[in-house]
Parts: sequence; C-alpha cells; structure tokens
Amino acid sequence: MNNNYEMVVGLEVHAELNTASKIYCSCKNAFGLEVNSQVCPICMGMPGTLPTLNEKVVEYAIKMGHALNCKINSVCKQDRKNYFYPDLPKAYQISQAEVPLCENGHLDIMVDGKTKTIGVTRIHIEEDAGKLLHDDSFAGSLVDLNRCGVPLIEIVSEPDIRSVAEAKAYLETIRSILQYINISDCKMQEGSIRCDVNVSVHKIGEPFGTRCEMKNVNSFSAAIRGIEFEANRQIEVLENGGVIEQETRRWDDAKGESILMRTKENANDYRYFPEPDLLTIVVDEEKIAELKNSLPELPNAKLRRYVDEFGISQNDGALIAESVEKAKLFDEAVALKKGTPKGIIKWILGDISKYINETGKSVSDMKVTPERLAELVGIIESGQISNASGKIVFETMLTEDKGVSEIIKEKNLSQNSNTDELEALAKVVLAQNEKSVTDYKGGKTNALGFLVGQCMKASKGQANPGMMRDIVIKLLSE
Amino acid sequence: MDIDIKYIAKLSRISINPEDEAKFEKNMQEIVDMVNGMPEINDDLILDKNNAMTLREDIAETGKFTREELMKNAPEVQAGCLLVPKTVE
Amino acid sequence: MELFERTASELSSMLKNKECSSVEIIESIYNRIDKVEDKVNSYITLCKETAIEKAKEVDNAIADGKELSSLAGIPIAVKDNISTKGIKTTCASKMLENYIPPFNATVVDKINAADMVITGKVNMDEFAMGSSTENSYFKKTRNPHDTDRVPGGSSGGSAAAVAAGEAIVSLGSDTGGSIRQPSSYCGVIGLKPTYSSVSRYGLVAFASSLDQIGPIGRSVEDVAMLYSAICGGDKMDATSKMREYPDFKAGLSADVSGLKIGIPAEYYGEGIDDSVKAAVMNAVKELEKNGAVVKNISLPSTEYAIKAYYIISSAEASSNLARFDGVKYGYRAKDYTTLVDMYEKTRSEGFGDEVKRRIMLGTFVLSSGYYDAYYKKAKLLQQKIKQEFNDTFNDVDVIITPTAPAKAFKIGENSDNPLKMYAADVCTVPVNIAGLPGLNIPCGSDNGMPIGLQIIGKEFSEQTLFNAAYAYEKTMGNLCKIPSLD
Repeated sequence: MNNNYEMVVGLEVHAELNTASKIYCSCKNAFGLEVNSQVCPICMGMPGTLPTLNEKVVEYAIKMGHALNCKINSVCKQDRKNYFYPDLPKAYQISQAEVPLCENGHLDIMVDGKTKTIGVTRIHIEEDAGKLLHDDSFAGSLVDLNRCGVPLIEIVSEPDIRSVAEAKAYLETIRSILQYINISDCKMQEGSIRCDVNVSVHKIGEPFGTRCEMKNVNSFSAAIRGIEFEANRQIEVLENGGVIEQETRRWDDAKGESILMRTKENANDYRYFPEPDLLTIVVDEEKIAELKNSLPELPNAKLRRYVDEFGISQNDGALIAESVEKAKLFDEAVALKKGTPKGIIKWILGDISKYINETGKSVSDMKVTPERLAELVGIIESGQISNASGKIVFETMLTEDKGVSEIIKEKNLSQNSNTDELEALAKVVLAQNEKSVTDYKGGKTNALGFLVGQCMKASKGQANPGMMRDIVIKLLSE
Repeated sequence: MDIDIKYIAKLSRISINPEDEAKFEKNMQEIVDMVNGMPEINDDLILDKNNAMTLREDIAETGKFTREELMKNAPEVQAGCLLVPKTVE
Repeated sequence: MELFERTASELSSMLKNKECSSVEIIESIYNRIDKVEDKVNSYITLCKETAIEKAKEVDNAIADGKELSSLAGIPIAVKDNISTKGIKTTCASKMLENYIPPFNATVVDKINAADMVITGKVNMDEFAMGSSTENSYFKKTRNPHDTDRVPGGSSGGSAAAVAAGEAIVSLGSDTGGSIRQPSSYCGVIGLKPTYSSVSRYGLVAFASSLDQIGPIGRSVEDVAMLYSAICGGDKMDATSKMREYPDFKAGLSADVSGLKIGIPAEYYGEGIDDSVKAAVMNAVKELEKNGAVVKNISLPSTEYAIKAYYIISSAEASSNLARFDGVKYGYRAKDYTTLVDMYEKTRSEGFGDEVKRRIMLGTFVLSSGYYDAYYKKAKLLQQKIKQEFNDTFNDVDVIITPTAPAKAFKIGENSDNPLKMYAADVCTVPVNIAGLPGLNIPCGSDNGMPIGLQIIGKEFSEQTLFNAAYAYEKTMGNLCKIPSLD
C-alpha cells in the first residue's frame, strides 16, 4: 500500500452461536442437514406465528460482552429491520437497533510485539437468514430455510484499525475468545463467522476519508484480502484526482475484487421499529455477575502469565495462548512440575504442532497426554536420555499407546551416567589412540573432540556426552 | 408535506397502475393530513422494566412438522426447496 | 323455541339433563344456516362434516358419563384470521384464498380441549382492516337486522352469525374496535379483552401490539364462559401474561351498588348521534337505579387516539404483512420477470385497496426522515393516553361510552371514503391504544337497528365489566333478540 496513505478500518463480525435450539423457535440449531429439514411454522414465518427468545442467546452475548469489557445493558429490547428477500421469510430480521445488549467495550490485540487497544462499539443479538442455492439446472434460485433463526451476535468495532496486520490480529483474537468461552464453533467453511468491513483511506496527517462498506466477506482471510484491495482501490481513485463516494460494495473473493452494490442515494430504508411481538429483555444483576465469573482465563491473560511467570517470549506465548487446545495441554503439563515450561513449550510449538498440521488431528485425539509430555521433557532435562532419544520416544508415543519409561526400556535408550563404567571405557579408548593423546598433550587441543567422539562411539551412543567429556579431560590431565 | 407515493409503493413492493395512482395519492394525502397535528410531547419513550418477558429454555425439539406439510402451501417447490426467480445472474 | 335460539348456558344444562343432544344442536344450527345464510353471508368456510363428527364424540362422552366442560357440544364460529389446522384460513384475502395452516392457534386448541364444535370460519374485512366487512375478497356480510346495512367490522361475520342464530357464540379479533363495533351494529355482546390476556399465537397479525382475540355471544354468561375458556398465558406468545384468571361465570354478580361509573364528555360530543347518546344514558340511568354512582369525567387526549391508532397499527401492519410475497405460501402472480417484479405483481394482485393503503401509510410513517414525526410521536401519545386512563381509574371503577357514533350504515355508504369509515372507530380505538378491556352490550335501538354501549375497565378487570353488564341484562331481560330473516 502507498506509504503516503493510512487506512482506517472498522469491522462488524457476525458469529453464529452454538446453542441447542434456534433464537426464536425450538428448531434444532444444526449445520449441514437436509434442505428445509430444520424448519417449523415460526422460522418459516407462517401467518400467526410468534417468536420466543432463547435465554442462552442472551447469556452467550453477555459472556462475550464481559470478555470484551463491555457495559451490559440489563434492560434492552429488540427491533425489526424490514427488507424483502427470499432468504428472509418474515421480510424482516429481528435484531437490536437503539439499545444493544452490550456496548462501549474494548479489546487488546498484539501486533509485532506491541499491544494495541481496539474499541468495541456494541454487541447485539439477531437472527440469521436462510440460504439461496443457485444451480443452472433449475429455472430459478432455490431457498433453503434451515439457517433461518440461527442465533447470531454482531460485534461492531470502532474504526480503530490502521493496518491489515491489525485487522488480522483483531479477527484472530475475537475468534480465539469465542472459542475460549465456547459460544461459537467458529467454523469458517460453514460460515459460522462472517464479517462486514468498513474501509476508508487518508493521506497521513489529513482528516479521515469517506468510508465504503464491504459485505459478503465470508472468511477472515477474505477479509484481509478485501481490506487490502479496497484500500488500494480508494488510493488509486484519489491519486487519479477522483473522490470516494460513500457506498456499499460486495466482496467477490474468487475474483479478488469488490463490486458496487448500492450508492448512498439508493441506500436501503430498513424502517427499524421496536419488535411488538417481544417484550423488554431484563437480565438481573446477579445473573450478569454470575456470567462474568463463569468466564475462563482468556488468551490475553494467559499470554501475560506465560511471559511474566515463565519468561516465555511474546511470540511463543501468543502461539500457545491463541489456541484453546495447545494452551490446555501446556497448562496441564506445566502443572505436573516435571519438565520446565520452556522445555514443554518447545515440544508443543515444535514436534506437536508439526504433527497436528501434518495430520490435521487435534491435540485431544493425540496419544501424547499432558502426563506423558511432562514426563518426557523431565527425563530429557534430567539427562536420563538424550534429546535425540527423546525424539524417538515421542515418535513412538504418537503411534503406540505406551508410557515414556516403557518405551525407553524397550528401545533401551537410557543414557549411561555411571562414572566408573565410563572411566573404564575411556581408559581403553585412550590406550588405543596413543597418537591423539600425545597430540593433545603436545597442545593440539582439537584432538579432544576426536577422542570424546571415539568414546561415545564405543558406548554405542549411550554414554552421557557431558560426563564422557569431563572424564576424558580428567584422564588426559593425569 | 406531500407523500412520495411512488417511493412508498416501491418500498412496500406494491405497484399501482397509473389510472389508480391519483386516487391512491389523494386517499393517502387525506389520511396523512388526518394523522398530522399530534400535540408535541416533551417526553421520551421509556423501556418498561416492568414489562419484562420470560425467556425460552434452550431445548431443541425435532420432528414436530414434516417438510411436506410445511411446503404444502408453497406456490413452487423443487428439490425440497422453495423456488424463486433467479437472485443472481 | 328452537335450539339455535338458545344461549350456550341454556344448551349446556339441557345437554347435562339429556334434554337434547349435541348432534341435535349442531343440526339445528346448520338448518338455520341453510335458511338464512344466503341473506346474511356470514361464513367463508363451513365445517359441517367435522362438526357433526365432533358433536357425536361429545354425545358419546356424555353417554359414557364423562366429566365435560360447560362449553362441550356448543357450536362456535371462528373468525377467518384465526389459524385452524387443516381448515382454510383466508383472512378474507385473495392472498390466502387457498392457505391451509399446518397448526392450530392456541385459542383453537383451547376450544377443542373444551369440546366445543366449530361450525366454520366466518367473514371479515381483509386482514381485519375495515369497519364494515365490505373489504372481504369473497363476499359482503349483511346485517341480520337490516340486510341493506353492514354488520360492522372487521369481525362482521362473527357478530352477524351469532346475531342471526347461525352460531351460538363466536370468536372475533379486535385491533381498534373490530369486536365491539360489529357487536354494537348487530346487537350482540362482545368483549375486547385486556391486551395480553388471550394468546395471539395463530392469530394472523394485523397490529401485534393492539390485536386481541375475544368472545361474542347473546348473553353475558355466554361471553364470560367463553372468555374463561380462551384466556390465560401461553408459552408460545411472549406478550401474553401468566397469571391467575378466575372463573368469570362463577364470579358473575348483578350487584352494582356503589359501582362508580365515569361518563367522559369527549365521547358524547359532536359526531355522535343523539339517538345513541340517549340510549346509552338511559342504560346508565338503569344502572344508577340499581345503586351505581355516576361521575362526569374527562379524557382530553381522546381526540388524538385515532391518529396514534392509525399510525401505530399501520406501521406494524406494513411489517406484519410483508411476509406475503408469493414465496412460502399464498397467492403468487402468474406472469413476472424478475424477483422484484414477482413481489410487486403478487402483492398488488393479492391485496385489496384498503390493505394497500394501510401498508403504504405504515411504510411511510416508518420511512427514514419521518419516524420521529409520526411513529415515535404516536408512541409517546400512547403513553400519555394510557396514563390518562390509569389516573381516571383511581376515581371510577368503569367508564361507559357509546360503542359506535351511530347505528349500522348502509352497504356502500362509506366505501369510497376511508376517513368516514375510520370515524366509526372513534369510541373504540382508545381502549386498544391503552390495552384495556372493553365490552359492548346492546342498549336500545334506532328504527329497529341496535345501538350498543361500551363498558371500559382497568387492566384485567373483566369481571367488573361482566358484572355491570349482567346487572343491566337482569334488569332489561334478554338483550339479543334474533331477527326472523324471513
């Protein structure tokens, strides 16, 4: 992006909540089932039907509100957003306009080692729409209403984001929080998190430019591509002496470009008004406090703890903290006080992450339990086996359901740290290599390496290298 | 204040044929004039805390309706879906 | 006296004493329908077979000595905007001409549970928008007392069927007077209950914050019984109130001594016929003779109620009726090109003019730039009107007003003049705006046409309304005489 410019980005993240039932009816909240099989007269918008609000949706939204340091509005309401479209059976979406459930929050993100605070304007609850299927073998578009009434929270950020990197960090932090408090599956391919993006650009030092909204951004990576494209598009317009019109654009990820949907003039007139089929939402303060206390330790807090208590680097700490599973494995292994946190983290970020990425397996379905990981690291750090042997033990643990010591015994990998045995062995080796011994004594110190190597070889690699070296030096100095 | 009948009709997804437009415009204007002239009330709408609703327990119910009975009233159904004119080209 | 002429409570005891059977009752009703329906046009759909089936079940249950509700075997007509599983529910609109709901409204489940016998679905103004039942897509219902006149609306079919003896009782719905005004025109007793006391689940919405389903009958007892059967909180309707509802028939008492009746000047001003004022005040005097105390009161915001009403009800209607788009159910236009074209043709061909007018008014008052000037102002006004009523009920127990400014008008008289039509609701809309209960009872006539009065009470004071009406009924005798229609 042109260095004379700065981008200003605000994000609206829509996350589907993993409740058992839909937001306004008792239909199953499930993905990927047969078309129109999870539908009832209510979510199909049949005449005379009425909505009833799912209590879990309110609780989940409040949890997210707490996680993002929001003010919770214990008294709020819902409103209708009116527009015609085949995926919206009632021709209005029940949402929240004037008074959202949560507002005025903030979120700390980490961008190359530095912390930045992004404002969170509001979090409100609303219902998802159905899906339109397009297939040329049909005379028109097909409507599947299974997704109608799936509960959503919309998280609206302040326009505090100034770069693609910040946008990426913000989105990833939001996702990891959603997973930590377990209110959304965050399955991108299932579209369970989507976002709308607001982008403007301005010359550094000059006032903000006119913003454009970009809809239909169905994954975080698409959001990043979209922001990049849109910022550059606007800069190009300005550089060519043009002006940016406030407009709504649609992101086409396949083509990698945004297309004009509507200009400000013909903006939608949604005719919001209070939903008369629902009364006031009133949550008592005890419940709000209870939900706050129910929150687990969140990624930012974990990261701070890892850095402060264990002296782990920001980057390593962040890599663990942003993943619920890795953080769980790490915390449990550390708690056993067998291996050092630094030793344990090396394995998780190294071999374990590699294994997970390659196999697509999750930490939980790995045979390497926290106990086994801690034990392995402990044994290596105590010098009972070498790092090389450690890797062999790990490989075996991945495939065979066996304990660390069991594997060490089987493959007899334990290191020989018995001074007398090692000394005896060293005497034999030195006797066989008189030339090198004299070279060493004559000042050719590099002969030492050769001699130690010979001793290790004679021990079939099982001698404790450190001890072996000390013994050789001792004997040579006699 | 005159009401833009064309815009309102469009927003309502109702098309009025030209010969009726004048009639509708007149009717609408009369009605709007009738509802005009409400007194100014320097008050604000209160969110009534005492008008709270009971929320529904999050329990999924399945098999209460079959797709067939729900789609029975639909003008056009294909492949278990409602059929509408193409929404994208 | 024929069975169709009797009240539900009379028939109930006759059934208990085996003086008649449920099948005989329903046959008497259908004979009456065969005789007069072509003059009255109350019904859109008749359910003779299922009705006779149900009546047989009831008779068998009685024969087996089963304990049945006091309404078991009583024929009831249901307004065609109340969903009936497997039975067409058209809202008297081309839009829903062939719509058959896959579920029952909660009130329908309740009357079924009470073993009542549904005679059929009765006519109304399209989507309950109107005051004469002339806005029905199917037919014009006529006033049984003068078939050149309208029965009122929107529940014209519900009122006319009961008045003509084509049903013993019926269910209507009332958003701005749609039960009380036709009851007044047809000379029957009709209750618009306290908002939230009867579940709206399955009632095709016109204006969600104002709609209420209510009972119509030919005796206070009947209306009280039917109200007891349909009221109560419902998990399916978040706006319904969970609370204890008494047995209103058991609670009936004709003792009105000390009952404080408020007479608001605003409801007796110009635009109200003298014949109506006179009839209402005579009835009030009767209650006074029985020991009631009359106080003159004022409800200054009344004149604004109709404005607030048309803004709020139309705004909600424009949104509630947006779902009729030819996609999921109901009418779809035949020839169209694009999606928008399909929407516009479907809605323009499927809705009648009055419905279109209300949808457009509602769309207008909610559209950007006008919300504050119209919708918000109307809601503020609503707050004020509620407050005025609440304050008044610190001084009086009930308020008595005319139900309608005049007797039933001639068919076609107001058809081309929406505003004149709306004026027929001037006495009833404030009650909906305030969410209060209102009861119409006949209180005289003007050249043979019934005149009705409206008793208004505070929230959930239905028992008080019934008792005042009961006292008047006891003094005057039968208030609802069935015209012969020969």
